[in-house]
Amino acid sequence: MSDHRAVEPDSAPAVPGEDGDDTPPTGPRRVLIALYAVFALAATARGIVQIATKFDDAPLAYLLSLFSGVVYIAATVGLVTNRRWSRPLAWAAVGTEMVGVLTIGLASIFDSSAFPHDTVWSRFGAGYGYVPIILPVLGLMWLWQTRGQRPENLTTK
Amino acid sequence: MIQPLAIGILSAGLLLGAWTGFQAWRRRPTTEAQMVGAIVLEVALLVQAVVAIIGIIGGRELTEPVTFVAYALGILLPLPLGFYLARAERTRWGSLSLCFTAVVVAVMTLRLLQLWQAGRV
Repeated sequence: MSDHRAVEPDSAPAVPGEDGDDTPPTGPRRVLIALYAVFALAATARGIVQIATKFDDAPLAYLLSLFSGVVYIAATVGLVTNRRWSRPLAWAAVGTEMVGVLTIGLASIFDSSAFPHDTVWSRFGAGYGYVPIILPVLGLMWLWQTRGQRPENLTTK
Repeated sequence: MIQPLAIGILSAGLLLGAWTGFQAWRRRPTTEAQMVGAIVLEVALLVQAVVAIIGIIGGRELTEPVTFVAYALGILLPLPLGFYLARAERTRWGSLSLCFTAVVVAVMTLRLLQLWQAGRV
C-alpha cells in the first residue's frame, strides 16, 4: 500500500498527540460505539439466521442469540444518542449484558446439555475471542467514570 | 469466492488493524494513507461480495447458504463505521475504532472462507 500522505498536507488541524489519559470522554465512547455496533450486528444477524433456518434445533439458544442482539442494539443506541434517556438506557443495557454473559457463561459450562448450540454469550464469549465478557466491563467502567457529565447536568450544577 | 482475494483481504485487514493500532498506541489520529487503505479494503470487500453471490447463483452448493450470504453482505458494514468514527474523532480513539473494525473484517473473512469450503463435499 503506497503512502499518499505527501499528496495532501494533513488538512485536519488535529490535536496531535493529545495526551491520552485526560482526553475528553467522547474518545473512548466512540470506540465503545464501534464495539457495540459490530456486536449488535453480529448477534442480531446470527439470531435471525438461526431462528429462520433451524429454530427447532435449539430454540432456547437461538432466542438467546436474538435477545443478546437486542441488548447490544439498546446499548449502542444509549451510547450514540445524547438524550435524557440515553444514559439510563445504556446502564440498563450494559448491566443486562453483564448479567447475561455471566449467567449464560456459567450455565453453558455447568449444564452444557442445555446449550448444545453456541450463543454469543456461551462460555463467556469464547467463540468471539472473549470480547463479550470484556465489553460490558469496559462499558460499565466508561459509564461510571463519566457519570454526571451529561450536558443537561452541567447547567444545573 | 476467489481464495487469493479473500486471503489478500484477510491479510490487509490484519495489516490495517496493526497499523492503526500502532497509531492509537502512539496517541495519534489516523493518517490519510490509513484512510485510503480502508477505502481500498472496502472496495475489495465489495468485489468479493459480488463474486461470492454470483458463485451462489451459479450453483455453488453450501451447507449454510443463508449464513454465508449474511456474512458476505454484513462484512461490508464494519469498515464504513470505523472510517466514520476515525474521521469524526481525530484522536487516538479514532485510530482504535478503525483498528477494531479492520480486525473484525479479517475475522469475518476467515469465517467466510470456512463457510465456502464447507460446501465442498
